[in-house]
Amino acid sequence: MNDSRKRHKLSITSSLLITVSAILIVVSLFFPWWKMVFYAPQYPEGLNIIVYPNKLQGEIDIINGLNHYIGMSNFSKENFPELSYLSYLIGGLAVLTLLTAILRNKKVLYGLIGIITIGGVVGVLDLHFALQKYGTNLSPKAPIKIDPFVPPIIGQNTVANFTTHSLLGTGIYFVIAAFILLLIPLWKDRKK
Amino acid sequence: MKKWIPIVSGLLVGFIAATISFADFSGKTNTEAASSNKSNAEKVYVPFGQKDDYYLFASGGHSGQMFIYGVPSMRKIRTIPVFSQDSATGYGFDEHSKKLMGGYTWGDLHHPAFSETKGDYDGKWMFATDVGNSRAAVVDLKTFTTKDIIKVPNTAGPHCAAFVTENTEYMFLPTRFAVPVGQKYESLDDYSQKYRGVMSAVTFDEKNVKLNIAYQVALPPWSYDLSDAGKKGSADWAVMTTYNTEESTTTMEVNASQADRDYIVLFNWKELEKMVKEGKYEDVDGQKMIYPEKQKGGIYLVPVAKSPHGVDVTPDGKFFIASGKLAPTMTVFSFEKAFKAVENKEFAGERNGIPILNYKSVMEREVNPENALGPLHTQFDDKGMAYTTMFISSEIVKWDPKTGKTLDRVPVQYSPGHSVAAEGDTVSPDGHWLVALNKIAKDTYLSVGPSHPESMQLIDISGKMKVILSAPVDPEPHYAQMIKADKIKTINVYPKDTKNPDAVYKQNDTKIVRKGNEVHVYGIAMRSRFIFDHKAKRPDVIEVNQGDHVFIHLTNIDFDEDITHGFAINSYDLNMEVQPGQTNTMEFTADKAGTFPIYCTNFCSALHQEMNGYFLVKPKN
Repeated sequence: MNDSRKRHKLSITSSLLITVSAILIVVSLFFPWWKMVFYAPQYPEGLNIIVYPNKLQGEIDIINGLNHYIGMSNFSKENFPELSYLSYLIGGLAVLTLLTAILRNKKVLYGLIGIITIGGVVGVLDLHFALQKYGTNLSPKAPIKIDPFVPPIIGQNTVANFTTHSLLGTGIYFVIAAFILLLIPLWKDRKK
Repeated sequence: MKKWIPIVSGLLVGFIAATISFADFSGKTNTEAASSNKSNAEKVYVPFGQKDDYYLFASGGHSGQMFIYGVPSMRKIRTIPVFSQDSATGYGFDEHSKKLMGGYTWGDLHHPAFSETKGDYDGKWMFATDVGNSRAAVVDLKTFTTKDIIKVPNTAGPHCAAFVTENTEYMFLPTRFAVPVGQKYESLDDYSQKYRGVMSAVTFDEKNVKLNIAYQVALPPWSYDLSDAGKKGSADWAVMTTYNTEESTTTMEVNASQADRDYIVLFNWKELEKMVKEGKYEDVDGQKMIYPEKQKGGIYLVPVAKSPHGVDVTPDGKFFIASGKLAPTMTVFSFEKAFKAVENKEFAGERNGIPILNYKSVMEREVNPENALGPLHTQFDDKGMAYTTMFISSEIVKWDPKTGKTLDRVPVQYSPGHSVAAEGDTVSPDGHWLVALNKIAKDTYLSVGPSHPESMQLIDISGKMKVILSAPVDPEPHYAQMIKADKIKTINVYPKDTKNPDAVYKQNDTKIVRKGNEVHVYGIAMRSRFIFDHKAKRPDVIEVNQGDHVFIHLTNIDFDEDITHGFAINSYDLNMEVQPGQTNTMEFTADKAGTFPIYCTNFCSALHQEMNGYFLVKPKN
């Protein structure tokens, strides 16, 4: 009995790693998670859509001023309801992570890793569908007719005179680091 | 055991790799050595992606405008309309600029002057004077647009520079032409009694961007030519040259060239300021007028070789140099000696109630380069050396103000009026570049008929003076100033002004409001359409009744650098521009009935040709 409890107990080092992980998740809230940079011959400096968990930044007005030419709808906070609650979800996740560190229970850690994995997949799909919606739902009355397109989540795409570069933001790297920190205890406290 | 070996070697490799990747091996000494070996073409070539080191602000003379050039490329960058209408920017058409113009259609922009802090250009504002219609203006260097214009009463032709004091406390506007106070009718037979050469002390309210006249001085009825403010130890003082102290009233070419000596007016503006504070002035049509023969003090005359043009204060503020124009001499005067002469009252009589200082007790040295004729105006380099334009012998002469020795000379094509060195009239000139502002181009460029453009010649003064480039320029730069490019901080777009009742930033806020026979349009311009009323069947149409008073408030909601829109009404003789983020108003009476296309005049986008609408005026009956 005692033995089995011990086997499910995470070490102090692991607990500390998980605490750091929680902190990184909180820190990630203050950094952009994802961005898309639009380059054109007239915009060598690039126009940005920078996505934070709770807001959009960058030259959104300029991009919105241009995208009616191809019949694309406007980017705005209103069109992304996720931005109004995403930071609470992430905050909640940080709390769960901290709890895991305190409980030092392997099963809880498995659960946490599961939640984060599912959350990650859902997030990627959500972004993909948003991009698909913008790129394929083009107004038929647009002055410039282009084929529907879906920009990738990471990588390049070309739309008219624009080349878009989709990049992960600093925030997501913090999250990835946090996730790796959660995996380390699995190996460290593995059954020997 | 020897664990440190891999660590240290790792660090070393990293360090070397970083050095190779990021270190700048092109040391400064290398580039400097290379620059002296550059050909003329290489010295002035500024490839795409790089920018010029200096802005050159050249007065546009009777074009009423100011021309902006880059140095050393001598490429023209911009024309700033100041005193004249300019349909290209809608200047003088939109309400703001129309009001500034005060009903005039042209001006004669003479001497530009940057605002200064501690005697150095601060890159914030540019002042200019209008000889044609007696005005002064201020240009905002964040936007390169004219912000305020003031009409100067009692004066006719403030030629002699808007010259600013060390911290832009005042801009002084002395007059070229003497007129009776109030510019009333007076017989020229009464010239000496009734006419005055009024100088104005203009202040600039930076917060409200407003020019004001603090006081005026009713100087004798002479012509005032050039001027300069003191620097450092002489900062409270200013000097200006005069001619026609003969007070002749006709054929001045001859009659104003009779006396052997004219004067430099030397005045202490701090003292004049104090006199005004103490009420020592007369109220003349709302202006505080100092009459020097009645309110004594603060103003002195220094005799100078006849009909001088330029007077320039050395960067250290110790000397002022007058150029003879008709005499071949440059005269170096000492401020220190002048102050002493004032203190000891070493006067050689009075002229028109103003004490004359003894020439000998103020003069430091007379400089007379061999065969140099027609010295006009002097600039300085980083070593304090003087560069004087010689109008008649058509050259620039470099000389040492401390010894009077001629150091170098270079011919220019042809007849330089002024010249401008890099920050060459400040307390710390930069050296390296000097631009001669030549009045005659003649055979320099491809012929365009009997009359030719003026010519600006770039001279490398870093070693032996050498003309390395000529650039044509429209009429006509009189003086120019050259400022280090990084001192000027422009904005990219106009910021949103939510307090502006005329501004509309959202398509859904656009509207057309009718109040009796007044029609107010609150519209937007964006790539590539106008929206005047988003609810209308045709949002880009304005329909009014003949005789309506129309106000069109237009905001450019493309907050994107260089996406400027124009707004013209065909056959209504109207055009204005809205720069990115800017709101502008056009006001007019729709007196012509009919159908008038509206269109964007400033090419904005691929569908610029489609950026139009209609202005429909319903006939009265």
